[in-house]
Amino acid sequence: MNPDDIKYHRDHAWVRVEGKRATIGITDYAQHQLGDIVYVDLPEAETEVDAESELSEIESTKATSPVVSPVSGTVVEVNEDLADSPEIINDDPYGNGWLIVVEMSDPSEVEDLMTKDEYEKFVKEEQEK
Amino acid sequence: MALKLTIIGAGPGGYVAAIRAAQKGAQVTIVEDDEVGGTCLNRGCIPTKTLIASAEALEHARRASEFGVEISGEVGYNLAKIRERKDKVVSLQVKGIRSLFKSWGITLIIGRGSILSPDVVRAVQRDGATQDIKSGKIIIATGSKPARMPVFPFDGESVLTSDDAVQMKSVPKSLLIVGAGVIGCEFAFIYRAFGAEVTMVEMLPQALSTEDDEISAIIERELKKAKIRLLTNVKVEKTERIADGMMLSKLADGREIKTEKILVSIGRSMNSKNIGLEALGVRTGTRGEIMVNDKMETNVPGVYAIGDVVGTMMLAHVASHQGLVAAENALGGDVRMDYTVIPAGIFTMPEAGSVGLREKQALENGLKIKVGRFAYRGLGKAHAMGEITGMVKVISDQETDKVLGVHICGAHATDMIHEGALAIQRGVTATELGSLIHAHPTLSEAVMEAAEDVHGMAIHAPKSSS
Repeated sequence: MNPDDIKYHRDHAWVRVEGKRATIGITDYAQHQLGDIVYVDLPEAETEVDAESELSEIESTKATSPVVSPVSGTVVEVNEDLADSPEIINDDPYGNGWLIVVEMSDPSEVEDLMTKDEYEKFVKEEQEK
Repeated sequence: MALKLTIIGAGPGGYVAAIRAAQKGAQVTIVEDDEVGGTCLNRGCIPTKTLIASAEALEHARRASEFGVEISGEVGYNLAKIRERKDKVVSLQVKGIRSLFKSWGITLIIGRGSILSPDVVRAVQRDGATQDIKSGKIIIATGSKPARMPVFPFDGESVLTSDDAVQMKSVPKSLLIVGAGVIGCEFAFIYRAFGAEVTMVEMLPQALSTEDDEISAIIERELKKAKIRLLTNVKVEKTERIADGMMLSKLADGREIKTEKILVSIGRSMNSKNIGLEALGVRTGTRGEIMVNDKMETNVPGVYAIGDVVGTMMLAHVASHQGLVAAENALGGDVRMDYTVIPAGIFTMPEAGSVGLREKQALENGLKIKVGRFAYRGLGKAHAMGEITGMVKVISDQETDKVLGVHICGAHATDMIHEGALAIQRGVTATELGSLIHAHPTLSEAVMEAAEDVHGMAIHAPKSSS
């Protein structure tokens, strides 16, 4: 189930906002599409990320896919557990499978993102394409 | 009367030239300072590959449970036994070359060779015994050695060249590798597998900068996966010994790195000094490389040079081929060296193999190209083997469809690359390469699929969205 307290990006990343802090992860749909995740290449803390640019690469047994950042800012936390157990993303994409926390430079970017309902409609349309 | 040919240096260039010349009826003398086989066999290609074989065995054992194999207790290694195996492999090959020399009637003199005149080579043996060898023709194949820079206090214990690192005397807890080229990357994976914390410093923007960008990117990711730290775009400015036998290296950007040992792999310098070139008037270039034409002739008639000392491509198989060319020409032939199709292997984990043009190089040359790719993870065989990392990339000419370059990263890449070499040499098109039946299930199917992908026709790839 997709939570409704987070925002969604069309490249299948999600954001949970607390003040200026945004936790970023990939959606359940994305992890399903990828299949078994074997490696996550995350940026280091203090790296600057830009909205719409690649923040990470996720490697699964099926593909290597970029993760596009939904917001801009500075990386303040990185999920270190993923280094040894990237499969956490498959098991818990909206919880323990988070990727990074960003201190947002422009919180208004969040307004451009989709709600749960909008995202689910978007995924449905994409599947029907 | 048989031609008298003298060769200085019995590495992969010199020994191959010696055998070919003897096959053609020359009376050959070869002077070697150290041991036959040169850097390749004694301090390079072969010993590093035995170390990699041990590292891979260790990695496989660590991954055993993935394959349903149970190993009780901790997986460990015995460095003395690893060294012993390496030395055994090397000495077997050395004996092989020596017995080939014997069977072809080649005279081997262990001593330091230098040229006295266009028809005399002097060999000075370890005990000081001197021998002047009258020669009709001379081939210089003196090779190269690890480049040293004064900022690094080399001592063979804490600050190492690849000559030291290959001896594998111990595995440090922490190792700084200066230079993320082929040698640096190979050693990074080896020492990491044996448990060292490895940091690499590279002054260029990426590791393996001579490779196709996409191949470098895969290796960089694999370095990361192996928890090898790679710092790019930065130089080491100073290295000094500090307390507890540790080494402190200062980088140009102010960062400091403390490690137990340092391996400096910043290239190789030519062995062109003190071999009589100046007196003879043999022309050399700014790097000390001996200048030769495509017949491997120096500017002095009757004197040829081959291998690392000519500095074209420092690869054993290039040296060997140059040796064949020089031997033929010394014996009155007229053959030339052609560098368009030179496959090369990098023995990282996983391996990389390349031949022909890199994508960037093709674009810089103004060529219009098409690129096909296929990932290992699209192959059943790769999944069965548990080796899904990697890709094959085929570059072809947009108009003629002829294959211009093939780049492979992944398991067995160095063996698979030769299909690409043959394709380029014979002017095969991407369509032809893709229509060749490839055995299933093999990793080589990725070459076929990548060739088909040049025209968007790879069977096991989803329809591209663009």
